[in-house]
Amino acid sequence: MNGRQRLGWLALALVLAGALVVGVTGDSGPPTSAERAEALSRQLRCPTCQGQSVRDSNAPAAEAIRAEIRRRVDQGEDDEEILAYIDGQYPDSLLLTPPRSGLGSLVWVLPVAGLVVAVAGLVMVFRRWRAAPTPEVSDDDRRRVAEALGGEQ
Amino acid sequence: MSAALGSAGVMLGFVASVLGVLTLAAGLRQRSRTGQDRDSGLGLLWLGRSFAWLVLGGALLATVAMQIALVTHDFSLQYVADNGSRSTPLLYTVASMWSALEGSIILWALVLAGFLAAVVRRFADRAHDPLVAWATLTIFAVAAFFFALMLGPADPFTTMAGAIPADGPGPNPLLQNHPLMAIHPPMLYLGYVGFTVPFAFAVAALVTGRVGEGWLAATRRWTLVAWGFLTAGIVLGAWWSYEVLGWGGFWAWDPVENASFLPWLTGTAYLHSVMIQQRRGMLRVWNLSLLVATFSLTILGTFLTRSGVLDSVHSFTESPIGPWLLGFFGAVVAVSLGLIGWRGDRLRAPGHIDSPLSREGAFLANNVVFAAFAFVVLLGTVFPLLVEAVNDDRISVGTPYFNRMTMPLGMVLLFLMAIAPVLPWRKASGELLRTRLQWPAWAGTATVVVAVLLGARGLAPLVAFGLGAFAAAAALRQVLLAARASRRRGGSVLAGVIGRTNGGMVVHLGVVAVAVAFAAASSYAASDEVRLAPGESATLAGHTVTYLGMNEPVRSSQKTVFSARVAIDGGQVYEPALNQFPNATQTIGTPSVRTGLTEDVYLTLVAGPDQADDPAVIGVIVQPMVVWLWIGGGLMALGTVLAAWPGERRRRPAAPETGAGHEDDHPADDDRAGRDGADRVAGRDADDDDSADAPSPAPATVGSP
Repeated sequence: MNGRQRLGWLALALVLAGALVVGVTGDSGPPTSAERAEALSRQLRCPTCQGQSVRDSNAPAAEAIRAEIRRRVDQGEDDEEILAYIDGQYPDSLLLTPPRSGLGSLVWVLPVAGLVVAVAGLVMVFRRWRAAPTPEVSDDDRRRVAEALGGEQ
Repeated sequence: MSAALGSAGVMLGFVASVLGVLTLAAGLRQRSRTGQDRDSGLGLLWLGRSFAWLVLGGALLATVAMQIALVTHDFSLQYVADNGSRSTPLLYTVASMWSALEGSIILWALVLAGFLAAVVRRFADRAHDPLVAWATLTIFAVAAFFFALMLGPADPFTTMAGAIPADGPGPNPLLQNHPLMAIHPPMLYLGYVGFTVPFAFAVAALVTGRVGEGWLAATRRWTLVAWGFLTAGIVLGAWWSYEVLGWGGFWAWDPVENASFLPWLTGTAYLHSVMIQQRRGMLRVWNLSLLVATFSLTILGTFLTRSGVLDSVHSFTESPIGPWLLGFFGAVVAVSLGLIGWRGDRLRAPGHIDSPLSREGAFLANNVVFAAFAFVVLLGTVFPLLVEAVNDDRISVGTPYFNRMTMPLGMVLLFLMAIAPVLPWRKASGELLRTRLQWPAWAGTATVVVAVLLGARGLAPLVAFGLGAFAAAAALRQVLLAARASRRRGGSVLAGVIGRTNGGMVVHLGVVAVAVAFAAASSYAASDEVRLAPGESATLAGHTVTYLGMNEPVRSSQKTVFSARVAIDGGQVYEPALNQFPNATQTIGTPSVRTGLTEDVYLTLVAGPDQADDPAVIGVIVQPMVVWLWIGGGLMALGTVLAAWPGERRRRPAAPETGAGHEDDHPADDDRAGRDGADRVAGRDADDDDSADAPSPAPATVGSP
């Protein structure tokens, strides 16, 4: 690569890194209590609906939970406490994020494991391809070709 | 009357499907016995395929009977009594055929019969070809299953056992509140069911042993059409949910949505990896598996969403259709895997991929990521069932899980979308990549800078914007180069967007629009609920909403509408509403949205006032870029049409072009360039022209009996 092109890519990397640093660190301070309450309400399932979160539902139960979250956020409880408290009020778990321990953790582990295996397999296949550039022709193949050619003559 | 007519239609469809299977099987058997005799079995093959028209007739009869029953409010039919009502407007009455299980199976059968008839018509000149005969037979078999469903567990024409009611409840209020309900499900079904055609040809290729590239060429446009409809159906579904459900969202990772998304993911992976097979003759097993996966996921999705299994693992046997669909799913998977295993020796392809840094390499990576994406979505959807089955615990897997797991995969896909179009086949140098990607990379960087200057914060959305622009620029580069190359040859500039590669780039632009809009809307949404007395205002994310008062309620036989008048930024007045349906306890909201190219302001009436002067509760959601989801969806549909458009490759020049053969000289014309001797495998034509599927033996079939 020539010098000008190298300089171009270097400049690009610097500009990109600079913009990302500003974009990530320039975050607008800690979340307000309304933002916290909204984020928490996205983490919980509405107990009386089909597959809607507390934030997305207008069912009375969801409204009650939203009010409860808001009250506890204003009291200064931290996120974990609030989620645990509300989740404990209902017989079935309301947490939309599956647990990270026990049987539930499989839902996190399996895709990652699968991806690792797939990528490793791909790397191995490429290695093998590189090692064996031409396909091997067995005697059996030669015989078949000869037969096929012989049949036509 | 309708019941008799409809049942006759279902019976006709079933019998004709079974006869189609049997006749074609007999014809194929005769042909394979007598071998070289060209005329043996031809009569039976001709007869067999003509049953397709009877199947179509049966499906049409059932559809017409159901529509007559719905429109004339014939409540002697159980389905009409459950889903129809005299007060429902005509459009939703027609659409209520697909608002519940039994009716939607009629739609499925109708679409399938339509595809069957289209296949029979399209391949009329190849009716003697065992590949076509086996494919037709497979579609007949699938059709027989769906007609059998209507004879057995999902009979739409059951008559009322007791007294005939004077009126019915009508469809679920959510399904009669927006006209999109009339087109979204049929679109989705056209996509879902359309994948039966490539699946049937895959089965036919395995059975006949003609696992070369001929069947791929034959099904290329069919697959594109199915994919295009499925894409349009999914985007329309997201739009419907945005316009109706009232929470400002468009995608909730709901099992029903996931069921439509899963075949889309594997189908998209297939559309890419199939190009490796057509060009290089490789990945045969993988491509067959992707088609099998796509088709069986449509069945599995129907099972998940229609059997009630998602409410609880233990409830699925309550609806008799569950075991049927699960059994069919199992049979499809077992038969397909069996066939792939049986043909394993012929499926082994000789080639290998030279370098990961090549078009093939990028497609392979794309496939790994798409497969991982599909696995995450499938696992997340069925995981609560698995856990419940194992230890009776009930857990939820919701949006936080899906977002966290799929976001990195989406980013990688955007990145691959940027680099794959500039990569040549076979092998690329880093130098080439650096030269070709320079301007797309600057476009991405500039986008990040502009986004930061405009106040966008947070790593994930910024990376998504940058990668989106990177990918969009790479797609535009391809389109511009193709247009320029076409003009130089004296052709039209429009050729820059026509054909598989170039049309595909238009699809890519649509995908970028959807991805960027998704990232922006979900990262920078602001929402609030405000309690306002008439004349009061509230401010959210720089927008002022003023509650002006309520309109007079509008009463019709279908529903009563209570709407509020709300001015946005002191300008135009919007009217979010609540609808009270006579047969529903809960009110259904109708949001009112100010749509803009950069930002939507979304208003809902959460609670109306008790007295005229009391305050009302107004929901306000401000989200950037939502409209680009729909624009992107439109671009994807347009690009699909362009990709399927017969391009100028059909009018092939008689003499080979001079200079063709070096990808690097013709980066934009790579469907033709690069097809030099090294790229061609003897006997295999990489052309994707539908008619190029002469049954010439591919090398892998040499020596077969």
